[in-house]
Amino acid sequence: MASDAPPDRFDPLPPDAQPRVPIGGYPNTLRRNPSQPAFRRPLTRTELTGPPDLGPRLQPGDSDLARLAPGRIALGQLIHVGGRVVDEDGRPVRGAVVELWQANAAGRYLNPLDQRDAPLDPDFIGSGRTRTDAEGRYAFFTIKPGAYPVPNSGRWWRPPHIHISVLGPSCLSRLVTQMYFPGDPLNAHDRLLNSVADPAARDSLVARQVPPAEVAGDWLGFTHDLVLRGRRATPVLP
Amino acid sequence: MALTPTPWHTIGPFFPRSFFREGDNDLTRGTALGQRVLIRGRVLEQGGGPCVNAVLEAWQADAAGRFGHALDPCAEAADPGFLGWGRAWTDAEGQYAFHTVMPGGYVDPAGPRAPHVNLTVLGSGIMGRLVTTIFFPGQAANAADPVLCSLPPALRARLVAAPDGIENGIPAFRFDLLLHGPPEAETPFFED
Ligand SMILES: [Fe+2]
Repeated sequence: MASDAPPDRFDPLPPDAQPRVPIGGYPNTLRRNPSQPAFRRPLTRTELTGPPDLGPRLQPGDSDLARLAPGRIALGQLIHVGGRVVDEDGRPVRGAVVELWQANAAGRYLNPLDQRDAPLDPDFIGSGRTRTDAEGRYAFFTIKPGAYPVPNSGRWWRPPHIHISVLGPSCLSRLVTQMYFPGDPLNAHDRLLNSVADPAARDSLVARQVPPAEVAGDWLGFTHDLVLRGRRATPVLP
Repeated sequence: MALTPTPWHTIGPFFPRSFFREGDNDLTRGTALGQRVLIRGRVLEQGGGPCVNAVLEAWQADAAGRFGHALDPCAEAADPGFLGWGRAWTDAEGQYAFHTVMPGGYVDPAGPRAPHVNLTVLGSGIMGRLVTTIFFPGQAANAADPVLCSLPPALRARLVAAPDGIENGIPAFRFDLLLHGPPEAETPFFED
């Protein structure tokens, strides 16, 4: 079988490396998560497969969120976020759809549901979609999002973070996550980040900063790799 | 030595509306094969209130029970016009809808699969996704479906959609989800 064959082995997710709910100060984590444990089901063809090519349906848009149009540059610190999407065997996931969304530099989302008293930036939409290349790489230009207070939560602030959604080769390799910035003092207090018990798994949600001297342009660089669920039951020789 | 999958997080309250395009919840685009059906319902949270701005993703076999995916031995015979995937989001009343075709059943090593649609639920506060399966009423194959039969008998009916009339000549089915509630009322979800 070709080395780009899709994963066909999906072990249960390690519970310590996933968030625990409910989370204090986030009532929706109680109201919207089941009271009963999830049932274990046999994994048949339908669970193991997924749409092999979502590109025509979820069309890649702009991977440059910082420049809306010539001369229209978003306010904030210009950053480049990129990395590799791999499976649990470390094999690149090609052609995965990567969706990214975030707040502006003032910590406000361009979303009618975000009615916080912080300014919108007319030059920043804050969402984009791309696909991974042959090495599983994705990349976005954007600006560093601001922190924002969670409404009615007793002064809990979300640290700067970027929302990332990945649609990989199988329904079981679906991932929605958030990326944090290294060294932010709010990270240690964030209730979402800290809902992941395993320290190494928690750290994997924090991007690494590229040493500025190694960045080729006038932006700060961050590397953030993503590991999708799935392995090969029989390892493939290269 | 396997890598640890990146931890999940919620989509939060601000999943961009711009990610949705007209017809994303219409799985019939591109195919003429199969019986068209409408699946609709509400997503409800604890207490029965609407779960607003939930994102639902559907994945299913084509009308003949095939997937255009390398893990399906019948992939080459799959309907090339049928993607099998769609995305919907709930409105202020928690309502969603998918336009699709009645999926075919198929024989799997685990047992004969009845026609079904796999459903993923994402939403603010849902830290990892919730996954469940929609079955159809009046299908004899339901009785032997290995996934439906993995549930306690008393809960199985909760994963079978209800007939919901005819909409523009297309059979409609209702599938409501209660994300948190008493054990007998809560929608059964499967381990991811
Ligand atoms: Fe956020």
